[in-house]
Amino acid sequence: MSTATADSATFEERMPDQLSRGQALWGVIKRKPLGLASAALIGLLVFTAIFANVLAPYHPLAAYPEKRLAPPSWEHPFGTDDIGRDVLSRVIHGSRISLWVGLLAVGIGTFAGTIIGLLSGYWEGWLDLGLQRAMDALMAIPGLILALAIVSVLTPSTTNAMLAIAVVIVPGNSRIVRGAVLSTKQNPYVEAAQALGCRHLRIIAKHILPNVTAPILIIASIWLGNAILIEASLSFLGLGTQPPTPSWGLMLSSTGRAFMEQAPWLAIFPGLAISLAVLGFNLFGDTLRDAWDPKLRRRG
Amino acid sequence: MHKYIIRRLLLAIPVLLLASLIVFGLMRVMPGDALTALMAESGNVSERELQKLRKDLGLDLPYYEQYLIWLWQMVSLDPGYSIFTGEPIPVALKKAIPVTIELALSAMILGLLIAIPVGVLSATRQDKPSDYVGRLVAISGLSLPDFWLGTLVITFAAIWFGWIPPLGYVSLWESPWTNLQQFLLPAAVLGFRLSAATMRMTRSTLLEVLREDYVRTAWAKGVGERMIIYKHALKNALIPVVTIVGGQLGTLLAGTVIVETIFALPGMGRLTVEAILFRDYPIVQTNVMLVAGTLVTLNLLVDLTYAWLDPRIRYQ
Repeated sequence: MSTATADSATFEERMPDQLSRGQALWGVIKRKPLGLASAALIGLLVFTAIFANVLAPYHPLAAYPEKRLAPPSWEHPFGTDDIGRDVLSRVIHGSRISLWVGLLAVGIGTFAGTIIGLLSGYWEGWLDLGLQRAMDALMAIPGLILALAIVSVLTPSTTNAMLAIAVVIVPGNSRIVRGAVLSTKQNPYVEAAQALGCRHLRIIAKHILPNVTAPILIIASIWLGNAILIEASLSFLGLGTQPPTPSWGLMLSSTGRAFMEQAPWLAIFPGLAISLAVLGFNLFGDTLRDAWDPKLRRRG
Repeated sequence: MHKYIIRRLLLAIPVLLLASLIVFGLMRVMPGDALTALMAESGNVSERELQKLRKDLGLDLPYYEQYLIWLWQMVSLDPGYSIFTGEPIPVALKKAIPVTIELALSAMILGLLIAIPVGVLSATRQDKPSDYVGRLVAISGLSLPDFWLGTLVITFAAIWFGWIPPLGYVSLWESPWTNLQQFLLPAAVLGFRLSAATMRMTRSTLLEVLREDYVRTAWAKGVGERMIIYKHALKNALIPVVTIVGGQLGTLLAGTVIVETIFALPGMGRLTVEAILFRDYPIVQTNVMLVAGTLVTLNLLVDLTYAWLDPRIRYQ
């Protein structure tokens, strides 16, 4: 009887701790409208980036000087810029740069941060002290300023902006992974694995890493929004993506500001695109935290 | 408390030294050296002139010597000259620092004035429409790029009110009215961005505190809502808010870079961006180091204040 009840228990009736991560996430997305909104925004961004060539009505670099600074119309829903390029097509193609830079920067930064955090937390001692002081030193320099300094050394480009953002991500990430490793290490199963004579690498890969993936993924999703924002800021300052490549930050700074009073659509649409993308990832980070953070899960 | 202060001070020194190594190293990994890059861009400079400039700037010395000289210059508050304008860096900084301090302080005050009332409203009206609006405002503050918000604010102020903030910088003592007009919009843009995290923190800590036993006891005693929220709950809820405000100093300093560039305020941020664009590396390395030093010092002060407020921290 009790088994039958347990089997037939609905999703909401089951204890949160019994749910898999995917189920917990789906539960929160279904329950909270903001979770659903974040999933929709990210879905839209990914879809736009993948099918940019199909979705964009014009080539992003095709200029029609006779139509320069044309206001939004059926032909050009987001208007045209100072040399007659279709703003909608450029915004659609800009999603590729933002998503690409965001994903790669966060991927590289998270990977490096995870390795440092795992080494630091697992071995502790001098290695931990040295690595964490270096991370503190990197964190002492505000993210955007560090990224600016790195790009100034490497010369401005999309790839270098991406590398600079990855460096900015590493210290915070390593600190979170280190904390998670330190607490996971206290579990009896890790001590048991050590007592059985498992190699360190095996203990880290098989027993510790799977238990610290939740904080890693939560922080990565939050960083995706920040990475998009930093890339846009760098491009806005002329130190990220270079013209004529369509990047949202660059569109805002190059033509958006110069023609703002004459043609406000040049600044409104790229800015809106950045905001929606960042909003999507920020909300998704919150949703992941609601679903996977044990403290929040217990609170329901 | 003394032991705690000494321990924190000792930890801050290696962090600052490592930060200085990172900044110095960054400026030296550039292919060739900074001067070659600079001259390649301006062109038309003979090898002899280049050698002379390199010698004048000490770039012909071994790296460790250059680093030690630079470190000494930083400690003795004499970081040298700008390559581009020839102006002594302390003179440039003396003009730029007050602008950034005024912007940062006014943004922080405006940020707190927005964040705390909205955070309280959100927490006391949990899951009501006003809570959703408050949370939406907070998440928008985190998502709207400040350069976009700044551009929109300038443009719409010009289109709707026919008003643009006066250009340049006039000090508060010289003309308070002009100064207010120059700083109102940039401080509001930066303050709005800063308010987001503080608002979220105020909401979540106040929600926790409102569920504490002593608050329930106060309700049971028949204490009024206003008294419970402001006298009993908010005071305790604000302690973690101090940390989040401290943690935002980095965002604040980075924010000034963008906001100063948009509103043409001649502060540290704009000076740094211009130095980067002109490859004026002595200014870049001095400014970045100064920002790192300020951040470490302010964070230290925040931690010490926090430890003073909450004795459990200093005994950990």
